[in-house]
Parts: sequence; structure tokens; C-alpha cells
Amino acid sequence: MARLVFGKKRPSWFIGRTFTHLILIFFTLAVGLPFFWMLTTALKSPVEVATFPPIWWPKTIKWDNFSKAWSTAPFGRFYINSFITAITGVLLEVSIAALSAYAFACIRFKYRDFFFLVMLAALMIPSQIALIPNYVILSKLKWINTYKGIVIPYVSSVFGTFLLRQYFLSVPSSLYEAAEIDGLSHFKTLTYIALPLAKPVLGTLILYIFIGKWNNYLWPLIVTTKQRMRTLPVGLAMVRDAEYAIGPEHLMAAAIFVLVPVLIVYFFSQRKLIEAIAAGAVKG
Amino acid sequence: MKKRNLVWILLLAVLFLASPLFAQAKAEAKPEGPIKIVYWRSLTGVAGEAQDDVVKRFNESRSDIIVEAEFQGAYAEILQKMTAAIAADDVPDVVLLDSPHMPIFAKNAALVDLGQYVKDEPKGFLDDYIPGLLADGYYHGTLYALPAMRSTPLLYVNGDMLAAAGLPRRAPATWDELREWGKKLTKINAKGELEQSAVGLTTGLTTAHWYFQGAVYAFGGLVSDEDFGIHLTDAPAMELAQLWQDMVFKDRSAIPSNSHDDFFNKKVAMVFGSTGSMGNVYSRADFQVIPAFLPGQKQNLVPVGGAVIAMPKTGDKWKQWAAWEFLKYFTGTESQAYLARKTGYMPNSYSASKNAELVAYYNANPQWKVAIDQLNYVRPQASVISLPKGTAILQQMVEKLIIANRDVKTVMEETTADLLKEYKDNY
Amino acid sequence: MSSQSRPPIEPLPKFKRNPMTRRAKRDAITFALFTFPNFLLLTVFVFWPIFYSLFLSFFKWDMIAPKKRFIGLENYRVMFSDPVFWLVTKNTLILSLWVVVVKLAISLSLALVMNRDLRGRSFYQAIIFSPTFTTSVAVAMVWRWILEPDYGLLRVFMRPFGIAPINWIESTTHSLPAVIIVLIWVGIGYDMVIFLAGLKNIPPELYDAGLVDGVNPVQEFFYITFPLLSPTTFFLTITGFISALKSFDIIRILTDGGPLNTSNVLVLFLYENAFRWFKTGYASALALLLFVIIMAITLVQNRLSKRWVHY
Repeated sequence: MARLVFGKKRPSWFIGRTFTHLILIFFTLAVGLPFFWMLTTALKSPVEVATFPPIWWPKTIKWDNFSKAWSTAPFGRFYINSFITAITGVLLEVSIAALSAYAFACIRFKYRDFFFLVMLAALMIPSQIALIPNYVILSKLKWINTYKGIVIPYVSSVFGTFLLRQYFLSVPSSLYEAAEIDGLSHFKTLTYIALPLAKPVLGTLILYIFIGKWNNYLWPLIVTTKQRMRTLPVGLAMVRDAEYAIGPEHLMAAAIFVLVPVLIVYFFSQRKLIEAIAAGAVKG
Repeated sequence: MKKRNLVWILLLAVLFLASPLFAQAKAEAKPEGPIKIVYWRSLTGVAGEAQDDVVKRFNESRSDIIVEAEFQGAYAEILQKMTAAIAADDVPDVVLLDSPHMPIFAKNAALVDLGQYVKDEPKGFLDDYIPGLLADGYYHGTLYALPAMRSTPLLYVNGDMLAAAGLPRRAPATWDELREWGKKLTKINAKGELEQSAVGLTTGLTTAHWYFQGAVYAFGGLVSDEDFGIHLTDAPAMELAQLWQDMVFKDRSAIPSNSHDDFFNKKVAMVFGSTGSMGNVYSRADFQVIPAFLPGQKQNLVPVGGAVIAMPKTGDKWKQWAAWEFLKYFTGTESQAYLARKTGYMPNSYSASKNAELVAYYNANPQWKVAIDQLNYVRPQASVISLPKGTAILQQMVEKLIIANRDVKTVMEETTADLLKEYKDNY
Repeated sequence: MSSQSRPPIEPLPKFKRNPMTRRAKRDAITFALFTFPNFLLLTVFVFWPIFYSLFLSFFKWDMIAPKKRFIGLENYRVMFSDPVFWLVTKNTLILSLWVVVVKLAISLSLALVMNRDLRGRSFYQAIIFSPTFTTSVAVAMVWRWILEPDYGLLRVFMRPFGIAPINWIESTTHSLPAVIIVLIWVGIGYDMVIFLAGLKNIPPELYDAGLVDGVNPVQEFFYITFPLLSPTTFFLTITGFISALKSFDIIRILTDGGPLNTSNVLVLFLYENAFRWFKTGYASALALLLFVIIMAITLVQNRLSKRWVHY
């Protein structure tokens, strides 16, 4: 009964269903159109690009825009770099997060809460403040233009630790006690009990971190001075700077190279990502 | 105890693996297999591809050296990347530098003294280079760089648009003439929107200063002298600045433009560009292109731009040797003639400019000769360009003049103050 | 034992505690081992930089000179007397305010409209949310092309209203609005999803009670929905504001801060000083300022969230 009343009376009451759809279609178009515009531009000829009012879909699709764009910079290399740094970064960050989350959730230690607060304090510090110091540190370590230089400064994990700790705490403590009685070491309890139980949240966390690392621009921009070490976003920005030589159609084609993997990941996991964010599990 | 030892050994092993010092342990003997060196290039499009071609030819001709070319952005970006790379002690083996930037690195002892290699070359090795260009490679009497990819600023003209407006198919000789032509070339529609304009004035982050300098030279002035005296408030610079502003805001015959797209899309009939962009311009334009001198006024004089090629100190004897071999090849007759033919950059040596293929090419394509002809009207760039923020300050000045429409005198005074402050900051 | 004059009070509890202590010790070591990687990295790459930035901010250094020159508070003096710094700060604040307010208004409306059983709801949501996760460099490049005055997509939608083509990117008056538009476009999806979650948490009984009391929809929004959403709104305001203060990627690609710094913001200005002009000391002072601002906002948030938010 209550549910029926509720169904009638959700907060979009005073707007009709059709009107609701119209509003949503408008905003969906507003958000989606730039992506479409990118694709259609990437398929046009130079003449079609410089036409107003614009042509929505090219008469003949110019696939070779992609090959031209691909040859303006070593995109293959950028892809490899992006994958290597994003994947190793995710693995390291998640392992580090899991270890410290387990410690904060399941290991008794007198100063545990103090250290937890110290760690949370790191959340307040904007990463931009570290750009210069980290560059100086890495140059002393001779880590500029290396994968470790791109990856390591950003694999410490406060947010992931926080998230996994919440999850570990929600596991019934009897499970951990049983493990303790069986004489399992903490490490084994973590790998055989805690982590398998955390699989759903772990999956979302991994995707979330992966996308973040894939999209990262500022740090790789600073820490790579050599072309062969650049990641996709940095390489793409470099191609943009070469705008004397290439037209918008090639730029859009190059942008598509960078977006495709993210869009694929997003397409398959958007439900989970949105749910996780909605649940307050993931903070932007 | 044993455990502790093990820990130490492990730690040492990790350090050993992590430290590039060990990986780079230098051998005095020539290493086995080809030596790999990295070359940082600037310039894109045809000028970039042509350099890649030269690198490819070099690699094909040598079995003992492999050169890897890397695009690093515009000259100003190379300046940034080089500084960052020196800070990180991770420099390339060969680098293409905008000539005013060379002293910055020479001053910091970051470049290899080329004299030590020159003395092992046959006598008169340096005599082939055009002396005016070679001079840019010296800092305090030491040779740090060789001339390569030299260029001058040009005016590219869309002949078809001029003809359509009833004008002759040639470039305007003076700024006055250009302004006069602007009246015929500017089209404003009923709504007051600008549909077509005469000339695009460059506001590009790394190029705006160059064309401005050229125009100031034409008016008989200069931006700054060797002792960092700033001459922006002198009559010629002020006059030119006022002209640009009037053309943009009064006549609407000029627009600020930060790429060549407006030219290719026929929104403007003329645009500034480097001689080195010639290959690009011809490959993208679907109309008659007339490359020409920048308009004169009191005189025809342009700042010679473009790059020198140098070897950052890597401390690796054999890599430096390989870098020198590449330097010789890159600045050699054959490569320079090839580059000049492909891109419009000027040959750097007597032998290259007499190269039979190049001469034949110029004869067949007379418009390309403008690059050579303009060589007779060149002078060095303003000293302030060598300041880290120099190009940025001048670019902002151009923006203040032709985008923000600020009072000319105030702008010039502000810019002078900014440049002097930046100078004091660095010396 | 009993013959001892003094009762062995001290050792006894120790003896009792001993097995515990050993375990506690072992746990402490495990704890240290487990958290070590995280704390090591946090110390080196997050905490230490604050102090090092503070240190550097007292020096003049170009990153390649072997020696740093101590100049005391000069960098701070230069900063506060630099008109560009003030312009950049003003831009940052204007941008953040606009982005946060408009984003909240749009996303709240969308969430309200969408908060019902609706066909295609998850499709709408997936599209509107997508910019949250798409590479900002690529997105900014598309927008640069959309905002192109002659052939850009936006002109198509301005023309029917008789609006003349705007050279967004190269205009001193329009470059900042252009950045704001793109940042809003990027951010509404995220806010909308959080608002939807917030709306879900409002118990339906409250609306039922409202129905009985005969409130109209507008009253219902202002008396029930909005107050109950206030924790969400507050959270989004603060996090939105902080992340807007830190904007970089989009602006670097879209306008690069120009023309004449009219769309320049703090982080980009910091980047320019640090890695374009190598004014390392000055840039460190900027970094420290950014840190202080964000710290202050966070602390104020902690205070206010207890007072202002109606639960």
C-alpha cells in the first residue's frame, strides 16, 4: 500500500513523464554530442571539417585519418607505456591498500587509531604541492623517464585503504577468530579469507584506480622528458601542440585512440562504478 | 646474525639493481654492437618528417651507430625539457636548440665543447659553414653548436583571394600597402560579423615574438640590444604596435591567430610563417600560395631564427663520439641540401647551397628561392629571447595589443618593466 | 620465594601479561610490516613535500644551478605584489564558485526529475555520468574544437538565437566562461549520481505524511526534500569546490590559461612557474599557499558540517 502511494509521490511529481523524458534527452544529448562530434570529425575530409553549417556525417568515411594520426607520434609506444604504468600502478596500489587496510582492521596495536588518523590526514593534502619536491626526489634517484618514476610516487593509498578497511570490518569477526584459532598467519588470513570476501569491492576499486591512472596527465607530463616514456594523455597533448601540421580531423582521431580503452572499461562496468559511487563507497 | 647479513645482502642487491650508476659503468673500449644515441628534435609536419628522413639515412649508412629521433615540441618546450633533463641528469645525446637558447646551457656547462672534435677533423672543416650562421654556435669563444635548420619569417599570401579582391597576385611591399589592401580584403556582413580579413597576426605561445620582432625591424627599430637594453618604447616599436592595434580594432583588416587554420580556411588572405613551414603550407593549401618577404617599411630586415644542433654532456665517451658523427652528418652538405629542398629551411654551408640537386630544385620552383634571398636581410634575434620567460612576456605583449586592445604606451612600458625584472632575476 | 621480605608485586603481573606481550609484540611487528609500504610512500611523496616546499619557498633556485640562494620571504613578497598572481587567484575563485553552483543546480534538478521508475533511466545515467571517467586531455581537445568560432559545433546552437560567433578560446572575456562550461559539463554526472543516492535515502513515509498534510509539490521540496538532502549538498559543495580549485588538465589543453592569463588558475600558474620558467622557489610558495587554502576549507568543513547540516 505504502509503496503504491510512494510510487505516485516520488519527488518528480509535478512534471509529466513525457516532459521528464524530454529534459533527460536534452541533457543526454548535451553530454553525448561532444563524443559523437569527435567521432564524426575524425571521419571527415578536410573540406568537410571546414564547412558551416556542419556536416553531421561524412559522405565518404575517411578511415585514413586514423592512420595519419597514428603516424604523427609513436602511439603504439604510448599505448604500451600507458598499459604498463596503469597496470603495475593498480597492482601495487591495491596490494598496498589491502595490506594496510587489513592491519588497520584486524591487527591489534596500541597506536593503531593514531596512525589511522595520520594516514587520513594525507587525504587533505593536495597532490599538487608535491610536484616540485617529488621531481627533485626522483631526479636524485635518477627515476625521471622511468616507469617507476611514473608509478611509484602515486601508489600510496589512503582512499583504497579506507575503503577496504570498512569492508574488512564488516566481515563477521568470528571468521577472523576462526582463522586465528587455526593458526593462520595474518598474511594468510588476508589472502585466503579477507580478500576473497572483498571481491566485489575489490573489483570496483581496481577499475576505479585503473581509470584514474590511465587518465592521469599532470604527473607523467612532468616526469617524462623523453618521447619513448610518454603515456597516452601526454603524447596526445604533444600532438595537439603540433597543430600547424595536422588538421582537426587528425586530432580527433588521436583523441579517440586515447579514449577507446577507457570507454570500453566504462561501457562494461558503468553500472558497478555508478553503484559504488552512489553508495558513497567511492569518493571523487 | 646470519639473518641480518642476509638482509644486508638483499638490500645491497636491491640498491645495485636500482642504481643506474652500475648499469652505466663506462668502458673505455668501444662497446660491442651499435651505439644507440637519442636526438631531440623540434618542428613538426614536413620539417619534422624531413629530419626523420635524415636520421633514417644516417642509420642506413652506419652499422655502428643507431640514432633515435624524438619530437620534443616547439623550441620553447625543448628549452623546458632540456632544463628538466639537466636537473634530472638524464639528457639526450644530441639536441636541436633555438639559437638564443644555446648560451643558457653553455653557461651551465651542460654542453660538450665541440672544439675537441673539430681539431681531429681535416683542416678547414669549419670553413664551409656560412660564417654568420656558425657564429651563433660560439659562447665566450668556445664552439658548442653547429648551425642547422635556419629560417626566417615570411609572409604567406593567398594569391586567389587577392585576385578576387582585384589586387595583384603579389605580396604587399610595405605595411602601409598592406593596410591599404586590407580595405579591399576585409568583408563584414550585414550583422557586423567579420567574414574575411586581410592578415592573421600570430599570437602563438612560441612564435608571436618572432614576427613582432620582424615587424619592428621593418620599422627601423629593435626589441632589445645585446646589453639587454629594451627598446620597446622607442618610436619604431610604438608605431608598429599602434598599427597592429588599429588594423585589428579600427580597420578589422587583421585578426589575432594562433594557428594556420584561418589561412587554410580562407578566413585571412595572408599569414606569417617560417620559411621552414613552406613544405607544410604547400601540402595543406588548396589555393595559390605566394611566399614572400615580411612587409618592409623603412627597411627589409628580419630576425634570423631557427636552430643550432648541440651535444649535451652525458659523460659517456663513446656516445659522445657517436653524437659527433651524427652532428657532422646532419650539418653536412648532403643532409642540408635535402632539408632545404624538402622544407624551405636555408642551407647552412657554401657547399650545400651550391649542391646541384638543390640548385636545380630552386630553378624549377622559384618561389622557394625566397628563403635564400631573404638571407641577405637578416640580423640576430633580440637578446631577451634567451631569458626563460622572455618569449612568454613578448607573447603576452602581443596579446595585450591585439586581443585586449590596451593602450599601446602602457603595454610597452609594462613589457619593458617585465623584461627588465626577468633579466635581473637571471643575471 | 615467600621468604623474601618484599612481596614480589612487580614481576607477578608481568608474568601474567607475558604471553600477551609476546603476541602484542608480534602483532605490532606485523602491523608495522603491513603498513610500512604505505607509510613509507606517504612520508616520502606526500608529507615530506610539504616541508620541502616550505624550505624551497625561501630560496631562489632554477633547478639546475648547483646552489640555491636564500632570499627569505622574498618569494612571498613577490607573490603578493604580483598582479598576475591576484588575477589567477581571482579566476580560480570565480571559476570554482560558478562551477560548483551551476553544477549543483543542474544535477539536483536532474536527480529530482530522474528519481522515479523510468524507462531508459540507466541509459540516461550512463551517458550523463560518462565524462567523470573519460580522459580529460581528450575531452578538452574535443571541446576546443566545439568552441571553434567558425566551424565549431556550438555555433550551430547559437545561430538560431542570432548570437554572433564567439572566439571563446582567444577572447579575454570568454575564455574563463569556456573553461567553466567544460568543467560543468564534466562534473554534472557525478553530482547527479550522488544526489540520486541522497534522494533514495529519504524515507518515503515523510512524503506520505506530507500528502496527508496537503502540502503542494513546491512546499514539499523546500520543507522535506531539500533539508534532508543538505548533507549531500554540503558534501558536494565542499568536494566540488576543492576539486575545482585544483583544476589543471582541462585548462592546460583548452586555453592554456590564456589569453593574458584571463583563464589561468592556481595550479596551472604553479606549473608554469615550476616547469616552464623554472622559478622553483616562487612555485613552491604558490604550492604552499594552495595547501593552506585547501587545509582551511577542509577544517571549516569539519566544523560546519556539525552545525549547518540538518539531519
